[in-house]
Amino acid sequence: MLDKFTPNQRLLVAVALSFLFFIGYTTIFPPKAPNSEENATQAAVVKPSAAQAHSSVTTEASAPAQEIKTVSTDTLTTISAKEFTLKIDTLGRISSLILSDKKHNGKDGQLSELVSGAGAKPLYIRFADEALNAAASKTAYASSASSIVLGENGKGTVTLTQNLPELTVTKTLTFYADGHYDAKVNLSSEKRYYVYLGQHPQIVEKMMTVVGSMIYAGDNLTTIFKDGDVEGRSIFTDVHMASAFDQYYASIMYGFDKSTQVVVERDTKDNPVTYLEGANNFTFSGYIGPKEYKTLESINPILVNAIEYGWFTFVAAPIFKILMYLHGMIGNWGWSIVALTVLIRIILYPLTHKGMVSMQKIKEIAPRIKEVQEKYKGDPQRMNAAVMEMYKKHGANPLGGCLPLLLQIPVFFAIYRVLLNAVELQGAEWVMWVHDLSRMDPYYILPILMGATMFYQQRITPSNFTDPLQEKIFKYLPLIFTFFFFTFPAGLVLYWFVNNIFSIAQQYMVNKQFEAARMARHEAHLAEKHHEKD
Amino acid sequence: MVRKLFLKLLWLYRHSFSLVTRGACRHYPSCSEYALWQFERNTLPRAFGATFLRICRCNQLFDGGIDYPVISKPTIKPTELSINTIKYWFVPTKRNYFLIKNFKFKGSQC
Repeated sequence: MLDKFTPNQRLLVAVALSFLFFIGYTTIFPPKAPNSEENATQAAVVKPSAAQAHSSVTTEASAPAQEIKTVSTDTLTTISAKEFTLKIDTLGRISSLILSDKKHNGKDGQLSELVSGAGAKPLYIRFADEALNAAASKTAYASSASSIVLGENGKGTVTLTQNLPELTVTKTLTFYADGHYDAKVNLSSEKRYYVYLGQHPQIVEKMMTVVGSMIYAGDNLTTIFKDGDVEGRSIFTDVHMASAFDQYYASIMYGFDKSTQVVVERDTKDNPVTYLEGANNFTFSGYIGPKEYKTLESINPILVNAIEYGWFTFVAAPIFKILMYLHGMIGNWGWSIVALTVLIRIILYPLTHKGMVSMQKIKEIAPRIKEVQEKYKGDPQRMNAAVMEMYKKHGANPLGGCLPLLLQIPVFFAIYRVLLNAVELQGAEWVMWVHDLSRMDPYYILPILMGATMFYQQRITPSNFTDPLQEKIFKYLPLIFTFFFFTFPAGLVLYWFVNNIFSIAQQYMVNKQFEAARMARHEAHLAEKHHEKD
Repeated sequence: MVRKLFLKLLWLYRHSFSLVTRGACRHYPSCSEYALWQFERNTLPRAFGATFLRICRCNQLFDGGIDYPVISKPTIKPTELSINTIKYWFVPTKRNYFLIKNFKFKGSQC
């Protein structure tokens, strides 16, 4: 008997321990950790000039935005629009991009800097010729304008020139108010050179998100290079888009010629470094900013592929599209999640309705089922078999089945990924105390409500356990889930909570309906008895 | 190897996620148990197919009830034959066999 107990008890201990670990881990190491690991000593091998630019950066890198201030290069041109302020430095690179919308600010209220302090910067040019490269890293660019202000839907062009001995580099950049730019690189004579995509923004806040580089090439083929997990050097052609991304933001280059070689290399920390092989009269487009679906789609539909939900994208992306559609009608992300729950419930309605009908039948054979249950009291397996046979014989089964419930798991996980990765849901409000659906509920109200509804739902839903110990764990599940959900994004808890509410309502209706039917039968029975007496 | 892995995964499922589906299965044996028996006794592709179909059947549009796995080749290697050590009965049906658990079996359930 004891042997039978141990695996289950071990599981209970394991679950409890993993919660303790999970909660402890997140409190001791707030998910900021990836940031502070990023020190500026990296990348000396691959990018000589980038490393040079950072020699003044202290290794105690705290926040990327602070690092930027200490970088020694000067700003050459400033482009400002409603949504962002972009700076180009004297080496012709995009050295800073700050988003003005407050919702992008970090937890400490700091403005978000999308160009990482460490690593290569977007539009940096490296020559294959070392001597030329050394000269280029010492020669400042000249600019046609020192500041450009973009109006609504406006655009502005700046021409950057670098006069090297025997070579003139001309970068013609046209910036648009939506955050994308067109670039044209022209060399006075033929030379081999590379244009850098830049290191991804480093505003990582949550665990479980993929950060790195992405190459979208050929026939719908996405290759992702995760930070710290890059091996050797990969070369791509027929690339539609290259993106260096973190959770919400990305630097993307696209619109270059099919034959352009795109190279992904690793730096000293095995993080991806992405660059394009340039050509004379090289034209391409780029984008730096938040991965907002509508913005990206309006610039170029191909950019939508930069939105990444991890390996689960194939389910998460459609779920997000539905949510976005609902948001278009309702105007609030919280209510959109509620509407999504309703939608899923409606899809499952034919099933649940069938369940209701069979529920009515089951009560008619209830006494006989009880008889069987009594008979095999000590043997749950046999009892189950007997009860199931009874159900089948009468064509009624009160249980919901595995499929409808198993289908919920991917939906649940997809919403989790969407809340984690969709920048649109950053700072999305719902009602009263819920100010950000993508973060945990600060007052733990939603998780507690979720646990309470789950507990109640369990009590009124029929279930079927072959293992009595499993049943015991099952009873503790609402409690475990409540704790588990404390740290989850509020939007996810909201989904589960609303789902529970609907389940309870449905079950309640079924019970009511049955009650009415039984009352009617009872009365009919009484009337019959009366009849007999008379 | 693969079989072992799947049996391990099923064990994990039966002790964790199975609680989320809150013992809602409409069948005997339950879907996860069905899968367990299939992966234990059937060829891998058949076990996959049968389990997949079974999960698809596990909703209100189907009757549920008793639904035993059907396997093609029974493998019997008993070291000891008594009512308490026999795990499954192979009950012939046409050219295959129903796999039926012996309720009196006292060994490990997985």
